[in-house]
Amino acid sequence: MTLQDINPGEYCIVKKIRGNNLRKRIIDMGLITGTKVYVKKTAPLGDPVEIIVRGYSLTLRKAEARTIQVERVDK
Amino acid sequence: MNIALIGNPNSGKTTLYNELTGAKQSVGNWPGVTVEKKVGKLKSKNIDANIVDLPGIYSLSTISLEEEVSSNYIMDKEMDLIINIVDASSLERNLFLTYQLLDSDIPIIVALNGMDIIDKNKEVIDHKALSIALDLPVIPISASKKIGIEDLISAIESFDLSKKRKQISYNKQIEEVISLINEYIEDRFLSIRFFEDGLVALDHASVPEEKQPELIELYHSIKGRFTLDIDMIMPDARYNKIINLIDKFYNKNDLLKITTTDKIDKVLTHKYLGIPIFLGIMFGVFFLAFGPLGTFITVQFVWLIDQFFILIINGIAQLGMSPYISSLITKGIFGGLAAVVGFLPQLMILFLAMAILEDSGYMSRAAFIMDRALRKFGLSGKSFIPMLIGFGCSVPAISATRTLDKDEDRKITAMIIPFVSCGAKAPIYGVFAGALFSNGSYIVVFSMYIIGIMVAILSAILFKKTIFKSASANYIMELPQYRRPTLKNTWLHTWERSKDFLIKAGTILLAAFIIIWFLSYFGIVGGKITLLSDDEISKSFLGYIGKIILPVFRPIGFNDWRATVAILSGFVAKESVVGTLGILYGVSGDVVENGSALYPSIRAAFTPLQAYSFMLFALLAIPCIAAVSALKRELNSNKWFYFTLAYELVVAYLIAMAVFQVGSLDSGTILTILFTAIIVVFVFFMIKKFIKQKGSACASCDEFGSCSLPQKIKYLDKKGENTNEE
Repeated sequence: MTLQDINPGEYCIVKKIRGNNLRKRIIDMGLITGTKVYVKKTAPLGDPVEIIVRGYSLTLRKAEARTIQVERVDK
Repeated sequence: MNIALIGNPNSGKTTLYNELTGAKQSVGNWPGVTVEKKVGKLKSKNIDANIVDLPGIYSLSTISLEEEVSSNYIMDKEMDLIINIVDASSLERNLFLTYQLLDSDIPIIVALNGMDIIDKNKEVIDHKALSIALDLPVIPISASKKIGIEDLISAIESFDLSKKRKQISYNKQIEEVISLINEYIEDRFLSIRFFEDGLVALDHASVPEEKQPELIELYHSIKGRFTLDIDMIMPDARYNKIINLIDKFYNKNDLLKITTTDKIDKVLTHKYLGIPIFLGIMFGVFFLAFGPLGTFITVQFVWLIDQFFILIINGIAQLGMSPYISSLITKGIFGGLAAVVGFLPQLMILFLAMAILEDSGYMSRAAFIMDRALRKFGLSGKSFIPMLIGFGCSVPAISATRTLDKDEDRKITAMIIPFVSCGAKAPIYGVFAGALFSNGSYIVVFSMYIIGIMVAILSAILFKKTIFKSASANYIMELPQYRRPTLKNTWLHTWERSKDFLIKAGTILLAAFIIIWFLSYFGIVGGKITLLSDDEISKSFLGYIGKIILPVFRPIGFNDWRATVAILSGFVAKESVVGTLGILYGVSGDVVENGSALYPSIRAAFTPLQAYSFMLFALLAIPCIAAVSALKRELNSNKWFYFTLAYELVVAYLIAMAVFQVGSLDSGTILTILFTAIIVVFVFFMIKKFIKQKGSACASCDEFGSCSLPQKIKYLDKKGENTNEE
């Protein structure tokens, strides 16, 4: 399961991040194995997606969201 | 002493810079306002220090040129002291950079910004305990409310540069690796950077070349030691430390569930309302500037300016100076200036609206909303920001392309920005639309903006399909909290851009006007260079030039050499097109009737179709000299620079010609052409359907990031493959 599969309003925990252009930046922005992420909404055209991580709001594209493996959790 | 301001984008850095130096930089509420570094003197009676404002960074591992400016500055330790501005409202992420800086031995003061909001939310950050834990001064401030600035200045003044800070130590496993690397690099900070970033860090270290293969070997052997991916180890260690700190020193208010930002975003980035609101705001801005209100203010303002200039011109006439000088002053200088300055109100409305959008944080949402649409053209939502600035002025817009992450994106965006109709082109539309399209004048003006955007987008697609095939812009962006735009900031923004316009009008343009005045009021009569009167302008030098090149412009509808000359002057500065027309039609200094003195001359010289073609050419052809020089700087290659200029000229010519030629035909012919075109397009798509197209070559990129890794982390490529295995 990847971040792309998590619906707005759901929580998940980062498992692994696969290689992509922005991998290091995604990590530095605080998405690390074990980090909890809240998926807030998708943009009007369906992409990018807005997530809340470490108390702030980050937007990334589904192309990158697909490379982030997660596990769905309750709150 | 050199003091560098380092912090996350949008953490209040530029506001603090203004408070510390007394400078007047405008501040935006989106990532990436500080494109180049700025230096100012610290407001202090006791010490002499330079404050360097650097582009905001989230991490020392960079993904754009702009971030590299800051990162290189730090890695080369070019400062004596760092003021690390930390936004208290997203403490966790902001402290990540702080911890990267703490690995170095550069003296640091932490300025904890936004403390007023922390107080307002009834939260507590124990900055004193934080200061002891990090072993450095932590000063609570609010840059926008000007709280704690004095404390910060006195902390700088009394800072003991010789004192060594307590080193941040990591767990045993990490420390072992650091000391292994350190045997080669001999600098703990750079060793940690190497551990995190690989080869990039070596640009700043002095490792002999023959030792480097060994070091790379070591790097690969380290990977096996950890369960986490190698580039995640340091961030993980830091974030764990940060969470520990925050647990101890930050008393959060858990009752704050829904913030104002959430409420606003519910509407502004709404699934169905988001895009209509965005388009509505954009149209609103232009309606405000070019609709009834903008026009009314302009008319009043122009009347005032003209009264003032007439007063001066009459004064000069009474002085009895030589005819050369009084002609220069009245016709050359004031004639041109009056025409240009008159458009200041409309520009200021545009700039003001833009400033409010920037300062409030809406610009970032605009990028978020538009990303999906722009990506199709090989651009990211981030490209939208420079393009939007392009509506104000191409020069800062082209500079702002530096905030984009990849070279191809930067080039494409910079190359298409000149097509976006800048503020200086507005006067041209204003005059022509006002004179010839009285009923639908702002629809004509709006069509110019739309055509500019369309040409920009189509060019981007063309570039992406042909030259920059590898371009697939990155996008990762923080959405900042909404802020109420402050009067000071909004005004600074508006004023700075208006000032740019005025200074340009006052200097480059003045020079241009004087040259044009000379060329248009002097000519060879009877073998001698003579001062000509207004009605002899066809004998002038400019008249000759215009007449000589007129045939080139005939296919696009020019049949008056004055139009050619005005277009020529547009290459000096777009503002001067109208001014030049004013001089050429000899209307400067006259009493203004019905808003603009130029209208009758234009009505006499242009048909609406010719005017439209003229406006199109002025819109799309090579931008002004200032923008051309910005292009040259950002493209950083003669090849691309000349290509861009040639491309823009050809595109402008072809489009203006197409519009004029088609427009000149009678309606039956137009219908025939339309019908033929539809058939051709239909046949083309049918053929295309038969010939099966391959999918995009880069479709696999989304899955495996191997085909277009940024050069810097190419070295980590192998590791990327490892992590792809599941």
